[in-house]
Amino acid sequence: MEETRKKCIEITGVVKKYFIGTPNELAALDGVDIDVYEGEFLAIVGASGSGKSTLMNIIGALDRPTEGGYKLDGLDVTAANDDELSAIRNRKIGFVFQTYNLISKTSALKNVEMPMLYAGVPAKKRVERAKELLNDVGMGDRIKHLPEELSGGQKQRVAIARAMSNDPSIILADEPTGALDSKTGRLVMDIFHRLNKEQHKTVVLITHSPELAEECDRIISLKDGKVTGVRPGSGKAVGE
Amino acid sequence: MLFWENIRLALTSLKSNKMRSLLTMLGIIIGISSVIAIVTVGNSLTATLSDSMLSLGANNITVYLDRKEIKDETTEEGYVFQNTDGVQEVLDEDLITNDMIMEYKEKFPDEVYAVSATNDVLSNGVSSVGKKSAAVNLKGVSAGFFVEKSTKILAGRLFTAKEMLEGRKLALVSEKYVEKIYPSNEDAIGQDIVISGNGKDYTFTIAGVYEKSDSDMGMALLVGSFNSASDVYIPLKTAQDITHQKNYTNVSVVLKSGINPNEFSKETEKFFAGYYRTHRSFTVHAMSLASVTEQLENMMNKLTLGISVIAGIALLVGGIGVMNIMLVSITERTREIGTRKALGAPNSSIRTQFIVEAVVICLIGGLIGVMGGIGLGALAVKLMKGVATPSVSSIVVSLLFSMGIGVFFGYYPANKAAKMDPIEALRYE
Ligand SMILES: Nc1ncnc2c1ncn2[C@@H]1O[C@H](COP(=O)(O)OP(=O)(O)O)[C@@H](O)[C@H]1O
Ligand SMILES: [Mg+2]
Repeated sequence: MEETRKKCIEITGVVKKYFIGTPNELAALDGVDIDVYEGEFLAIVGASGSGKSTLMNIIGALDRPTEGGYKLDGLDVTAANDDELSAIRNRKIGFVFQTYNLISKTSALKNVEMPMLYAGVPAKKRVERAKELLNDVGMGDRIKHLPEELSGGQKQRVAIARAMSNDPSIILADEPTGALDSKTGRLVMDIFHRLNKEQHKTVVLITHSPELAEECDRIISLKDGKVTGVRPGSGKAVGE
Repeated sequence: MLFWENIRLALTSLKSNKMRSLLTMLGIIIGISSVIAIVTVGNSLTATLSDSMLSLGANNITVYLDRKEIKDETTEEGYVFQNTDGVQEVLDEDLITNDMIMEYKEKFPDEVYAVSATNDVLSNGVSSVGKKSAAVNLKGVSAGFFVEKSTKILAGRLFTAKEMLEGRKLALVSEKYVEKIYPSNEDAIGQDIVISGNGKDYTFTIAGVYEKSDSDMGMALLVGSFNSASDVYIPLKTAQDITHQKNYTNVSVVLKSGINPNEFSKETEKFFAGYYRTHRSFTVHAMSLASVTEQLENMMNKLTLGISVIAGIALLVGGIGVMNIMLVSITERTREIGTRKALGAPNSSIRTQFIVEAVVICLIGGLIGVMGGIGLGALAVKLMKGVATPSVSSIVVSLLFSMGIGVFFGYYPANKAAKMDPIEALRYE
């Protein structure tokens, strides 16, 4: 069955080394092979320092591997220049961070508009779509609020709306519930499920929580920069 | 599209740090306002100068009595001192005489058109009729004076040659004087004018009313004296009979057209100085209005240069301040920069965003500077009783220059922001 699905992310033998003063070099990723399928909800788990964020940054075209290959939708990302990487991040990827990373002193609406700004979407369309997206995550009544005026869960919902603004095919979430209590974490997790089921977005989720990982289609375990296990999850949200 | 967005971002950033932004702009504000102020003052001074040049005629030469320079002398013991023995107060016999003027006219018939001489009888006297009164200066003038000033008669007539020669008790009054005393210019003709001053009354019959020219104000500005009294002109001979002074401390020479006033002033000076070769204390100098103007313009240019250097230093310091604050700003906003990059901002967008921010700071500083400069310049010009004419081109150049400073000093920090590694930036605490 899996063979009939299309791969959107193909990672082969990726190594990422950090040089913390010669001769010490540290391999944050040490020969990783991962394929991600279109429409898949993938969880990446592992201890702190195992290389999850490093892997995520490479998938998100924020970083280049030291060795190895990475294809995104069949396109060789390792050969792309800075501007091409920017364009990939802008159109194909939606980032959600643990610490939200909303732009301060800037309204929820303006924050959601931002990726569209860099995509050259005209102002009217930007505002329209941003309002729609904020409505979808239940933040329609707080579009004028500044990040400083929102709770953690609300900030993360705005951040998800922002990640969706250019309608990317892949959402990358690095411990999105890590700073939230379990109730708001649940709420955020449900939004990811909804985006995965209803809009068929590929979601790659890094999480510390075993329960949340179990809800995904597949779970990949990392240890010391190596993949130590791949197993299927339930693919269903708790209570579903 | 991104352009307005960048401006909005810049303004948001400025608003969130009002005090810091203002302090950053200070150098730009000081630099630009001093340039605008000095240009405003210079402009109105030049305008006033050329106005007076036009109506007074740049073709005129002023000949005036001057004290000879006292040379340093050295005693046998080697002391340096100034020998002031025999240096005297100016007496009537030291002054420029009618004979000198006659000889001068005869020697240069092709160059000299007229010589204007005046004899001041009274300044700031009072003339009253009934309850109305006006402040007046009483001046004896030669026929050449009317040529020099190209006096326009509004009512009545000028003095005739015969009247001037005989020293008749006639007067020409200014329209400003008439305004204060009589309902119309015509009503003043034939009336008696009584002028009181120095404990005496002088009575004349008004022969005519002349038009007050704007250049008188310009001239007053140049000379630095300004009084609101209007001039009453009487024949030179009449004035000499009152003051018992037959000679002049200064005379004006109107040249025929085509004569270079600068060159001819040298010959004029040589001619008059000839009479004073052996004089212990005095000599005569001659200068053209053109050369005075030149001197003033030179002085103005030097002043402008000096202030421009100061303004340049202020702008340089201001620019460095802007660079510094931009470096602080991008460090504070490292995570924002990382986030923008993660969401797809190309390096060029980040660079533009921060250059625009620097330009906006400088432009607002420039605008405040322009307004301050116009205000300052207008105030200075008002103190000199002139009319302020702020120069549009200097305003435009100033604003463009402030924008240039923004681009120049904003580029380095903006480029630093553009080249940040997105991951490092996102991890920044
Ligand atoms: N910029 C860096 N310089 C040096 N070492 C780094 C850098 N980024 C990450 N590392 C190291 O790489 C390893 C993996 O880090 P990371 O991917 O952030 O782990 P995780 O997200 O799984 O906690 C860690 O040992 C970390 O210290
Ligand atoms: Mg991590």
